[in-house]
Amino acid sequence: MFEREEQVVERIITLLRQPVGIDPALDRRVMDEIAALRTATHSGTVWRWVAPLAGLAVAATVLVAVARSAGPSTQDLQFVLVAPQAATVSLVGDFNDWDAARTPMRPLRADGPVWSAVVPLAPGRYHYAFLVNGSRWLADPAAPAASDDGFGAPSSVVTVTGGRGT
Amino acid sequence: MRFAAVLALTFATQAQAQEPRLERLDSAARAPVAAVLDSARAAGLPVEPLLQRALEGTIKHAAPDRVVAAVRRLAGDLGRAREALGVSAAPAELEAGAAALRAGASPAVLAQLRRARRQPLTVPLAVLADLVASGVPVDSAASAVLMLAGSVRDADLIEFRRAVERDIALGASPATAATADAPTSLNATARPRSAAQPRRP
Repeated sequence: MFEREEQVVERIITLLRQPVGIDPALDRRVMDEIAALRTATHSGTVWRWVAPLAGLAVAATVLVAVARSAGPSTQDLQFVLVAPQAATVSLVGDFNDWDAARTPMRPLRADGPVWSAVVPLAPGRYHYAFLVNGSRWLADPAAPAASDDGFGAPSSVVTVTGGRGT
Repeated sequence: MRFAAVLALTFATQAQAQEPRLERLDSAARAPVAAVLDSARAAGLPVEPLLQRALEGTIKHAAPDRVVAAVRRLAGDLGRAREALGVSAAPAELEAGAAALRAGASPAVLAQLRRARRQPLTVPLAVLADLVASGVPVDSAASAVLMLAGSVRDADLIEFRRAVERDIALGASPATAATADAPTSLNATARPRSAAQPRRP
């Protein structure tokens, strides 16, 4: 007669996993950008996942995707930032000595909102962030947050496995 | 006492000379950070994560004392991680272990993971830290990762973390998401690949 607790939880989770309705126009805009992105990247690119659209609410949506193997022990990771108002964007992290000049991101289309950079990374756990217009720090809303060291600006974490990163 | 201070300053100066990236640090942070790097090097701990933490604080314009404190804290965590994981632990494992400890995992959990998994522990430890960062209580995160670590691949652990984050984003409580998704990941791994069912979006 009464459901076990596990069954109730399972039913709730099933309900929570139901797709959420999204404005079709928004869907189309995002898919157009992704199509442009796919065209601009290496032909062997495999898109593992696309960041949740929730990030749009903070004026930028960030994607991280595995592109292709760069060697026997490294993976090319593509970092993508949608930042319509940005004039410059830099990718900074443990992998480039936190040097804003080392990895400038480039728009995929002239005056387009999608910025991209590809970085070869060996397996490991890395902290990173985006520096927009030389002064605004932006963490990746679709990636785990790095621990706060009281530095006053957020960072994200990417973990690279032997086969892929996230 | 004075001799020890001079000795420490000498080592710090040598470390600065050996590591040009220290020049990017604020002058007030340079010598203390160099001293931490030197101590870590002498203790056989990885130095690169410490330097990266100092560079991160510097580019973010953190106060020098915060930068030094963060580097010292990380050096301590790396040392505790090595005690728990063993002297043969790889630098990447120690770095991930330090993150897990910082997230609140106990050294005993790290030691259990070492016993449970023959493969490198970098990804399990990173997933543990990331789950806690997502709001999963540390005990729930540790139980889930321990359940999976002995039998699943790194990629499955990453997928488990994504599933938990997805469920949290859809409104599940973090603890429930971790508890409910761990057996699913385990079963998916145990099942033949061809028979595995795709997850719902």
